[in-house]
Amino acid sequence: MTDKEILDLYKSGQRELAFKEIVDSYSERLYWHVRRFLCSHEDTDDLLQEIFIKIWTSLPTFRGESQLYTWIYRIATNESLNFLQKQKIRAALRFEDITARLDEKIDEDTGVSGDEAQKALMKAMSRLPSKQKTVFIMRWFDDLSYEDISEILGTSVGALKASYHFAQEKIRAEIEKYLK
Amino acid sequence: MLTGKDIFENIGKDRPSVPEGYFSDLRARLNSIPGESAAHSGPWSRVRPYLALAASFAAIVLIGNAVLRDTVKTPSSDPFLGEDSYADIISITNPEILYDESEFDMEELSDEDIINYLIESGVRTEHLAYAGYNY
Repeated sequence: MTDKEILDLYKSGQRELAFKEIVDSYSERLYWHVRRFLCSHEDTDDLLQEIFIKIWTSLPTFRGESQLYTWIYRIATNESLNFLQKQKIRAALRFEDITARLDEKIDEDTGVSGDEAQKALMKAMSRLPSKQKTVFIMRWFDDLSYEDISEILGTSVGALKASYHFAQEKIRAEIEKYLK
Repeated sequence: MLTGKDIFENIGKDRPSVPEGYFSDLRARLNSIPGESAAHSGPWSRVRPYLALAASFAAIVLIGNAVLRDTVKTPSSDPFLGEDSYADIISITNPEILYDESEFDMEELSDEDIINYLIESGVRTEHLAYAGYNY
């Protein structure tokens, strides 16, 4: 079912059915999107629940000014970044090193294959500033176009290309350092 | 070793594994969200935030009132405040000296005592002369 059909279904009053269609279309895609941010299956599972609750409660306010799919990705991205920010604050209050904690999570995450290069990539990505990390995940892993990312993040395509370039360079340098 | 531009192509986009049957279980859980929301969205749950806000406001007012009642005293309830107001009407005084009517028997004070006190308090001789004291 297309996004337009889902929205028509919602407007016709069949809200739960429309939401079911959203879950069917987006749950798996959003799972991978969020997991790249959080680097943990358990955290992703918890946060996905929150994200879909937010989608359900915010649907009545969706005015259709953007595409449903960019709106959903925006919610998921914001929630993921908020989650990471809260983790960072909690770590700071406990005088913990958030980078070391994320590295541990990546090492402990049984879902990540034993490939050292994959782990190095995840670790390098977790060290990126939020904006670069977001652009890299959307472009590299989610295969979104710059135009869609631009609509989701509200940033110009030129700025996104620059962020992606810097992110790639930093990750490349980190991986080379890690694998030496 | 992986180097240069090929580094990303060599790493690839492998997805980490998830528990078996995870996505169908996830979909089932997510599909139950509208039902759970409806169960929590009765009239009580709509009124509850407003009641909580009103209760918080009432608590702040009560606590504030109790604190202010203990710390701020009205003039009539403070026996020393009356003396302070006497002190305020003496134009030039030594702040170390508190004027207390009860300590002195005015009839026993001579003009000389008063003049000495005023000079000690920093009153200028011109002012004493103006007030009619001869020294």
